[in-house]
Amino acid sequence: MSEVPVFFLHGLAYAGLLFLVSAGLTLVFGMMNVLNFAHAAMYMLGAYFSFTLLRATGQFWLCLLVCPLLLFIIGALVERFLLRRVHAYGHLHELLLTFGLAYIITELVKLIWGNFPLAVNIGGFLGQTVAFFGVIYPIYRIFIFVCAIIVGLTMAAILYKTRLGIILRAAVNDSEMVNALGFNVPLVFTGVFAFGAALSGLAGVIAGPLLTTYPGMAHEILIDAFVVIVVGGFGSLGGAVVASLLIGELQSFGVLLFPKLSLALVYMLMAAVLIIKPSGLFGEKQ
Amino acid sequence: MTDYLQVQNIHKDFSGLKVLTGVDFAVREKQRHAVIGPNGAGKTTLFNIISGRFKASSGAILFKGQDISGKPAYVRNRQGVSRSFQITNVFQELTVLENIRSGVRSRNGMRYNFFRKPDNHRQINERTEAIAEEVGLKGVMHMPVSALSYGQQRALEIAITLSTEPELILLDEPTAGMTREETGQAIRMIDHVTAGRTLVIIEHDMDVVFSLADTISVLHYGKILVSDTPDTIRNDQRVKDAYLGEE
Amino acid sequence: MISQKKTPYLVIAAIFALGVLMPFVIKKYQLNMLTEIIVFALYAVSYNLLLGYAGLLSFGHAMFFGMGAFTVAVSLIHIPGLSLWSAVLMALMMTTAVGFITGGFLLRHKGAYFALLTLAFNSLFYAVATKWHKITGGDDGLSITRPDLHLGFTTIKMAALTNFYYVTLVVIGTAIVFCWYFTKTAMGQTVLLMRENEERMKFLGYNTNISRLILFTFTGALAGLAGAFYTLHFQFVSQSAISVDMTTAVLLMTFVGGTGTFWGPILGTFVYIILQNYLSDITDRWPLFMGLIFIVMVLVIPGGLSQIILSIRSLFSGKRNTGKPLAAEESSS
Repeated sequence: MSEVPVFFLHGLAYAGLLFLVSAGLTLVFGMMNVLNFAHAAMYMLGAYFSFTLLRATGQFWLCLLVCPLLLFIIGALVERFLLRRVHAYGHLHELLLTFGLAYIITELVKLIWGNFPLAVNIGGFLGQTVAFFGVIYPIYRIFIFVCAIIVGLTMAAILYKTRLGIILRAAVNDSEMVNALGFNVPLVFTGVFAFGAALSGLAGVIAGPLLTTYPGMAHEILIDAFVVIVVGGFGSLGGAVVASLLIGELQSFGVLLFPKLSLALVYMLMAAVLIIKPSGLFGEKQ
Repeated sequence: MTDYLQVQNIHKDFSGLKVLTGVDFAVREKQRHAVIGPNGAGKTTLFNIISGRFKASSGAILFKGQDISGKPAYVRNRQGVSRSFQITNVFQELTVLENIRSGVRSRNGMRYNFFRKPDNHRQINERTEAIAEEVGLKGVMHMPVSALSYGQQRALEIAITLSTEPELILLDEPTAGMTREETGQAIRMIDHVTAGRTLVIIEHDMDVVFSLADTISVLHYGKILVSDTPDTIRNDQRVKDAYLGEE
Repeated sequence: MISQKKTPYLVIAAIFALGVLMPFVIKKYQLNMLTEIIVFALYAVSYNLLLGYAGLLSFGHAMFFGMGAFTVAVSLIHIPGLSLWSAVLMALMMTTAVGFITGGFLLRHKGAYFALLTLAFNSLFYAVATKWHKITGGDDGLSITRPDLHLGFTTIKMAALTNFYYVTLVVIGTAIVFCWYFTKTAMGQTVLLMRENEERMKFLGYNTNISRLILFTFTGALAGLAGAFYTLHFQFVSQSAISVDMTTAVLLMTFVGGTGTFWGPILGTFVYIILQNYLSDITDRWPLFMGLIFIVMVLVIPGGLSQIILSIRSLFSGKRNTGKPLAAEESSS
């Protein structure tokens, strides 16, 4: 039973990662009504960019700074020049575009980096373990969780304490109205989309050393991220937090308690939510 | 004559916003009843509740003596209730023929059939043509909706509403956006197609109301102010203050 | 007027006649590819009934394709002496049941939510197929031998490609023709109503939940039939048949061919499979090429190849072209 705290901490680490990926996804969906299938591809790009940069410079901290920035730019370009163009054709087309992008990005990754897993070694302070509460635990996983908390708190602060935040929250609720009030909503959309991409890229950088860096990693996290936003509710940041924790721990303990079923547990949770409260724990009825 | 449609104490809240706060009125068979009132009074919401688009927060709708409050929209339509929309709500990429036939098919039980082709069904096609003719669209039957003028689209809106042979017809501002001349034609057309049936009509245009209606209800901020004959309404001070005075 | 109504049937007869001649005209490996194309054409046509006709974007169509594929393999392996028809029939029953049950779950939601859920379900089915290697063979897959066709008076050996090609041509070809016929039936037109204005349908007496479920189950069964013949053709099936990649493939085939006409997906299937065969000899990354074509189409030519073809045609004849399938009269095929 001394394993329990370890599994609990594992769950927290994964929850942190999930939150970083789903936060952007849920905001973009809530605000722009676009389900960005390419979101997970951005995550993967973050991991691969980081791999290359790390190999070149050996500085992990640099990767943490630069790669999300790169993804921010990419996200902005995608929204401004691709997504917006397709907007006129309708929601179906937006979905097809993001899906197509995800597909192409995955293929490009295979082309450039190869269709096999890559090893990412960070070493240094983060590569060590620490002892607390009678458990030896890798610092890196604690780092992930701390990152997620910092990001989460920053986002909450922006959303609830600043004027920009009010505009963003209003746009999630009713973007047309916000536009009518004179705010440059297209610019807001580009910004949010880019920010979501950057966040996802950051998650990718962080995930690299923890999970395997390989072309299938996008799909792997995409499904879990989808479940998070279904369970948490679209557009709800608080929902993303709660759902990430739920699913993180479920995955962690699921492997321990029900190894055969562990895969299906997450799906069963999603099915349960869909039946009982389809709009998610914190979502509003559409 | 028994009450055909009974609207009993209908309340409707939208997340705290009280749109309807106790609406009561009754319509007799083959009567023509108009509902008027300032914008935002809740007229379309009322139609949405009668036709089954939304559920009322409380209250009941009775049709031919039966409580239809909990029934889904498609059931109500099959029982004889049909409504039109204030903003034209048709099948955009299909032809006029296909638009009208969708309702005629439904009425004749040809909804989910995997083997019969509507093209080959003479009775359905004849009925579709007849309805198109009644609203003045016979000449454009094979044109897509996008090629129609605004007035023609409004006529199509009414044609579709009629296509299921309803006994109770709800028309939501059928002449919205029409010119004087188009409105005159519309009044004649509505008079003709709703003959022998029960009509409830929402309108802003007082000419339409006084031409067509046997009785009028005035909806004012979620409640019925008064229900009576057109002459009485015309001279009612409260109505003048609340509504007609704004004209 | 009469000759105009008969034209489509003449065209279909001509295509079938052409199909009958193929084994004498083309090489063996080409016949192999043609059989594959016919099977996938049904898969794509069934997908377009959802996407182009009903306006439903599903990322889970491989669930049914794979279900049909596995049911045939599993039943042939576990029930010795099972006939070809019985195996196919079992696949049909299985996919119909799965379509009905999952449809009940999935169809309560619309648009992006629906797409998301179909993707999640597809992933779930894939995961189950991978883990459950006792039944599905896991990563190794399942191998079968095509049972011979017993027709009472004679037995047709199915080991030969030509014989199986003919069976495919007749069975799958008929299924595709039925789909075409379906688009002109009452239900086929009801499907168009769903795409154009599902809300209004309710006020015309249509139970939209039932409509969606019927369509979803129907197209699922068709995909299952295609999957069944997929296994019979390759005499092998693995979890790739039920993967999200298999859904992506049919999405590409359908969209690139063009969702605006009935024959667009069939054309797309031809293009996809032929390109796949030739490009994969040149490069490992031919999917990238398909993906680029797909993106270009999404951005610039949403109606796919069929839109291009129809546009060229209308340059000559002046007919209009909206890029969406129209009902009976206006159909340009």
